[in-house]
Amino acid sequence: MLVAVAVLVIAEAGAASQLAWLGAGVAALLMVAGMVAESPAPVHAAVAVLGVVFLARQDSRLLLAPLYGAGLLLMDDLAIRTMELSGVGQIAPDVIAARLAATIAVAAIGACLSAVAALAVTAGVSRSVALTVVGALAAVAAFVAIAVLVRRRFGSSAADPHPASPPPAPQAQPSTDETT
Amino acid sequence: MNGSLAPRTPGVLALAGAGLIAALATGRPELALIAVPFLVFAGAGLVLVREPQVTGAVELERVRVLEGEELTATVRVRNDGPEPVEVEVAPARTAQLAVVPAGTVAVRVGAQSEIEVAFSLRPRRWGAHGIGPVAIRARDALGMTNWEGRLGERVDLRAFPSEERLRELVAPLRTQPFLGTHVARARAEGIEFADIRPFQVGDRVRQVNWRATARRGSLQVNQRHPEHSSDVVLLLDTFEEARDEASGTLDSAVRTAASLARAHLGQRDRVGVVDFGGTLHWLEPAFGTTQLYRIVDALISSNIAFSYAWRNVDSLPQRVLPPGALILVITPLLDERSIALVSELRRRGCDLTVVEVSPLDHVPPGPTAADAVAYELWRLQREALRAHLQALGIAVAVWRPGGTLGPALEEVNAFRRSAQPALRA
Repeated sequence: MLVAVAVLVIAEAGAASQLAWLGAGVAALLMVAGMVAESPAPVHAAVAVLGVVFLARQDSRLLLAPLYGAGLLLMDDLAIRTMELSGVGQIAPDVIAARLAATIAVAAIGACLSAVAALAVTAGVSRSVALTVVGALAAVAAFVAIAVLVRRRFGSSAADPHPASPPPAPQAQPSTDETT
Repeated sequence: MNGSLAPRTPGVLALAGAGLIAALATGRPELALIAVPFLVFAGAGLVLVREPQVTGAVELERVRVLEGEELTATVRVRNDGPEPVEVEVAPARTAQLAVVPAGTVAVRVGAQSEIEVAFSLRPRRWGAHGIGPVAIRARDALGMTNWEGRLGERVDLRAFPSEERLRELVAPLRTQPFLGTHVARARAEGIEFADIRPFQVGDRVRQVNWRATARRGSLQVNQRHPEHSSDVVLLLDTFEEARDEASGTLDSAVRTAASLARAHLGQRDRVGVVDFGGTLHWLEPAFGTTQLYRIVDALISSNIAFSYAWRNVDSLPQRVLPPGALILVITPLLDERSIALVSELRRRGCDLTVVEVSPLDHVPPGPTAADAVAYELWRLQREALRAHLQALGIAVAVWRPGGTLGPALEEVNAFRRSAQPALRA
């Protein structure tokens, strides 16, 4: 997935191809580090690097950005999912299929919404301070809405720092029954 | 169930936010377009999430097994919620309980449905193993939240010690007046011929020995030894044990005690158990299969309890050590208190045999030359102790874990035969 995404950029990078190669290499290293350490942070960093590298592409950036974003999301999800299931001894086949289907569906919806946004961008509206403020407010509003939702569901608890590990199994204790 | 955000969630939100902010800051809309799928993913994951309504139970194929025997544990997971949920099931694992599959098991439970997850359990050591409650982790469809909880109640799995079939047992010096399989010293009705004596009033005609009568010219009758049972008390020393990573002397001692209990009960002896250590437990001698189960249940509850308390024979109620009982002390001979107890019992004239569960295999010598010398000294010290006990008239059988008990018991019987006049004194 990473290779496919990287090739999409490098193929049309033109003069910035060296930069694209470098970005793809760094992303690959981060991805490997994340998988080995079973930590999601390097994986997200790899995705961020590939997102920035997309700017090296010389043409058709607006057209491809929704697909590229959906591809990055799929890559991120697959990597995280692999880490989550690495400690699992036995996996029912429908677990992977259902999760993959859900991610692909959401990525497709995201790509469609992104494409709509791309159409709006190509409508020729010139950049202005007012529009920038509106955009910033919309982004902030989206995050506030999500934060409120999370607070309502989970209270003030933060994310579990080690949830990729298996659920904490209770310890079996030898019986202390006494026979007299 | 306790809900929390999955570790990936902040990362996804951060990617979406960073993309939007970078797009606004640099005026490059492509970055915002890349971020939109991440924003949709995070929003959908967090908006649609609901606490999963997962319930369940833990069931065992059976609650009593022999150590090393496999059985199946079934975890029933029921989803009462309106949406399918992904659940990871993780049963308890200990060094003494092997669970297959080794990791957790991930399953998907449909809405309003139930599934069964089977685990294979194998207790590596005798004892009571608590199975359940089982830890579970449920995830929403996009994996943005985790819900952790426990399913079911604790079920006790009792693993009985594996037993060795013994062909020969320690013959008791004294028997009890109950029908059994040991030839008593007394003379009465029985099978084993004892002696001939002159006829007395009340003797039955079938007891008359006609050949002897013809030879002596007066009526002579046969005397016989009756077959009686005996009382056997298994005294398990739980003051100290030598243990390595895999096993310890207590493990072997309990297996030995279980083997001896089964064999003696099979010979219609009354068998009792005393767990003599930091804590004191006992079972009074009794007959039968029920007693065997009681003994095994008592044995698998044995453990080493550290204590400074000095215990001796007076700590035991008199009814636990019936007069004339054969006392089999199963001990690693590591604690002064148990050695003193053995000596004290012998001084009181008890019929005593020591089965020494050798700790040598569990304690390897150290790496240096001085360690090797110390180890050799310790080994010689143990031999001297054994010789001292034998000088007191106590038969000592050394049993090394992994070997069979039969030869050790034969050795004991040989010692007891040669030392019988002294033992009876």
